[in-house]
Amino acid sequence: MTKRMIVAALALAGVFIALYLLLYKLGMIGHLSCSVGSCETVNTSKWARFMGIPVAGWGLAFYAALFVLAMVSTGERYADSLGMSKLLVGAAGTGVLFSAWLTYLELFVIHAICEWCVISAIIVTVIFLASLADFREVSASPAS
Amino acid sequence: MARNTNKKRNTVRNASTRPTGFYYALGAIALLGASLLAYSLMRKPAEGVATEAVAPTGPVGPAEGYLIGKADAPVKIVEFADFECPGCGNFANVTEPDVRKRLIDTGLANLTYYDFPLPQHKNSQAASNAAACANDQGKFWEMHDAIFAAQDQWNTEATDNPKPFFQKYAERLGLNTSVWETCYDSRKHQGRIMANAAEGERRKVNSTPTFIIGDKMYSQGMTYDAMKAIVDSATKK
Repeated sequence: MTKRMIVAALALAGVFIALYLLLYKLGMIGHLSCSVGSCETVNTSKWARFMGIPVAGWGLAFYAALFVLAMVSTGERYADSLGMSKLLVGAAGTGVLFSAWLTYLELFVIHAICEWCVISAIIVTVIFLASLADFREVSASPAS
Repeated sequence: MARNTNKKRNTVRNASTRPTGFYYALGAIALLGASLLAYSLMRKPAEGVATEAVAPTGPVGPAEGYLIGKADAPVKIVEFADFECPGCGNFANVTEPDVRKRLIDTGLANLTYYDFPLPQHKNSQAASNAAACANDQGKFWEMHDAIFAAQDQWNTEATDNPKPFFQKYAERLGLNTSVWETCYDSRKHQGRIMANAAEGERRKVNSTPTFIIGDKMYSQGMTYDAMKAIVDSATKK
């Protein structure tokens, strides 16, 4: 598997995690009973919305877009495209920054950690590292 | 090193654009993700049945809830809720409009709301107080809806001083705000709020929202369809 395929596979996993959190946010999954739960605290805090849309919704859109992008980039046509590599690094980098901001909020403002958010943060970090490696590979390639 | 990786990339590209293993991996992830989601979605109604327990019956002690609907409706829904609890907010904002329109307004059921402020929610008692004071002016349910609709603005995570928010809702609802404020500051309904919570404890409520419909207790939020099914089966009894 190439780095881009790893990005695609991880982005697909991210889609499901974000979808799970979104359904939770919409009250369609699991206990929202208030017997203390960190995920509940995080996912129901006022920071669980960004520009009026649940953060999980942004996550879902992000991972879905990244998945499509990564899938396209694994095609023959874009195999050596440096632009595509840059796009992946840019998108994944944005995701990492956003995740870092959310993790900061969890640790220092909300004082609660949601394990699914942590898993998502790890996934987006690995995606970023993989796309960075892909970028280095493609820019070093003579074909580019 | 760069040469090696280039070679690898080319090998992959020349053999096939995307190796079959890649599709297998995607398929496995999709299957796993979809099964977990399906499991989570399906687990909820099953749990609703499993967590049923016979609720202590008999009159509701010295507590005094807030009734909506016809007093003599055939099915009586009792709700124990915490204004700051997201599950309760979700029920109030998403499910309850349907419950009111299709079950309560049609006379099939009525609903009585009991305060059950949980200790971890520091602003919940203040919200119960705000709603009780709105009740003095006949607008408990309007205040109930306003409080739940803006839960994330005044909850523990958002502020240490929720009063200005409630005051704003009181104003918006057209209450006599000075009367409301005097009531709020004196906390004259504290006894009623505590009695309502004590009634919940007596009935072994330990999470919110908890619903008692007929002689069954449901310790979680529920969808309109689930509540309708329970009300229907209680009507037949």
